[in-house]
Amino acid sequence: MNENPSGERKMQCSDESKCFELLESILDGELQDSGKEVLKEKLAKCQPCFEHYHLEQAIRDVLKTKCTKHAVPNELADKIRQQIQDIK
Amino acid sequence: MSEVQRRKYSQEEKNAIFDGEFMPHIDSMYNFGYRLTFDEDDAKDLVQDTYLKAYRFINSFEQGTNAKAWLFRILKNSFINEYRKKSKQPTKVDYQEVETYYNSDDVHYQSTSDLRAESVKDMLGDEISNALNSLAVDFRTVIILCDLEGFTYEEMAKILDIPIGTVRSRLHRARNLLKEKLQGYAQNMGYNTDEEE
Repeated sequence: MNENPSGERKMQCSDESKCFELLESILDGELQDSGKEVLKEKLAKCQPCFEHYHLEQAIRDVLKTKCTKHAVPNELADKIRQQIQDIK
Repeated sequence: MSEVQRRKYSQEEKNAIFDGEFMPHIDSMYNFGYRLTFDEDDAKDLVQDTYLKAYRFINSFEQGTNAKAWLFRILKNSFINEYRKKSKQPTKVDYQEVETYYNSDDVHYQSTSDLRAESVKDMLGDEISNALNSLAVDFRTVIILCDLEGFTYEEMAKILDIPIGTVRSRLHRARNLLKEKLQGYAQNMGYNTDEEE
């Protein structure tokens, strides 16, 4: 657990649910520049925030890269085009 | 996204928009349909239906705006209005019910949970997909739109016809539920040890 050698991070977050929601918005790219500052501070000072951020990031990564993708059936695009032709 | 008819496109313009801006999204559309219905034929019907509607209402699409979000909104509406009604089996969990439950006090994800980033990284695609698929459709949908398809909160708000604040809180709850599922997998697979080998 000793991921911060200086040991400066507090082990309790004073407002976890609000902080976590904020971190999630930052991860979703919703806060842009203002988010970066908040993030830097939280990650440096708060262990629960630090862990939550990395967990959330890992979940986003696996969702993006590992979720099963289904190939579009070959005939679907042709069928759609055909139907469009029919209603033109 | 407004339904206001802006202008009429010529036949040539219609074809260009349809081929150039709509059809390239067929892959995402099909996967969205599949993840909503878990059925290949239903997904095909939804996509087909969406493209026919998109063509029929092409004059209300403003060229240069986000075609993918526009199409996703049509698909989502078709799913709610037609597919859900048609299917004999309504979604198992009604969203309102779920939202009320999770809006109640004291129901928030326990950060004391032992789920760790390392465990998540080791999980298999099937485990991730199954965890996602096991969520109620409204929670599943926001994760699909945000994490798999990369829509912004604002785009999601338009696709789902809900305020941005609701997008944010629904996503937060959806992710907490997903973490609970993943935590279950982690425990079953014995990922969840404190020792890093």
